[in-house]
Amino acid sequence: MKIFLMPPNSLILFDLVERFGHEPLSLMKALRDRVTSNEIEAPPLNVTLDDVKLGLKYAGIEIPSGIRGRLAVYGPLIDEAEAAIFMEDAPYSFGCVGCQRTNELAKLLVRKRKVPILSLDYPANEEEAKDMVYKVKSFLEGLK
Amino acid sequence: MDIKTETRIVFIAPTSDLTPDRIARLVHNLGHEVSVKETCYGVVLQGPKDAVKLTLDEVRKMDPNRIYSKIRAFPMGDLRRCRAHHGSRPGFAQLEKEWKDLCLVEQGLICLEKGEVPPTPSKRQRIPVNELKKLIDEVPQ
Repeated sequence: MKIFLMPPNSLILFDLVERFGHEPLSLMKALRDRVTSNEIEAPPLNVTLDDVKLGLKYAGIEIPSGIRGRLAVYGPLIDEAEAAIFMEDAPYSFGCVGCQRTNELAKLLVRKRKVPILSLDYPANEEEAKDMVYKVKSFLEGLK
Repeated sequence: MDIKTETRIVFIAPTSDLTPDRIARLVHNLGHEVSVKETCYGVVLQGPKDAVKLTLDEVRKMDPNRIYSKIRAFPMGDLRRCRAHHGSRPGFAQLEKEWKDLCLVEQGLICLEKGEVPPTPSKRQRIPVNELKKLIDEVPQ
């Protein structure tokens, strides 16, 4: 099954989802098509004017274009998702306020789709990590 | 770039005895059509999707619970990202944090291998007000 990840570029989640036999819907794959296409050679690197228009499907016109542009990348992944795993409580260094707001909107869009969701926190110690891995495995096995 | 080409980042957990050099040597010895580049956290693999998958499976066997991987959007040595060309690396703070956490995830995977059911962890507590006050007092005015 196709699993949407939050943060969408998380190494831990990507690896665990793949390890347990599912397909992670990652930001990297979506961005790869953009950064390797001939149309985008200079900054802003990964978003075109068309993307910002495409983002209107996922966010209103009053939403800042930065967030809309990001959602243009996340949106098709959310549409494809058959389940989702959210990892909350990430350190501040993971991104700017724009990233945070985009993540919040993306989570809302996933919740609206009524797909199975597993919410977790970034583990702070061994006990929490064991529990996290166990929950991810049980959740993914339950989807089959 | 061809759609069938894939770039993958392979991370070695901090607790592992493996070095990027050993993984790179293994990849060279496998003889698949895959390019490999050593980095500070592991290696970057690039090549046809199937070949990268086969290589990754072999690399994982070296230390299954301590080798992690994910896809990378930018191709190997891309001028916009490569440090050798003064490229920026905006997502490095996240990679660094998740790399540090890999030793914790490893414990989770070992626990699963043994078939143990982990105990429910105690709930995270907020810092008590008195301790916060003490911390504030410690900071020189």
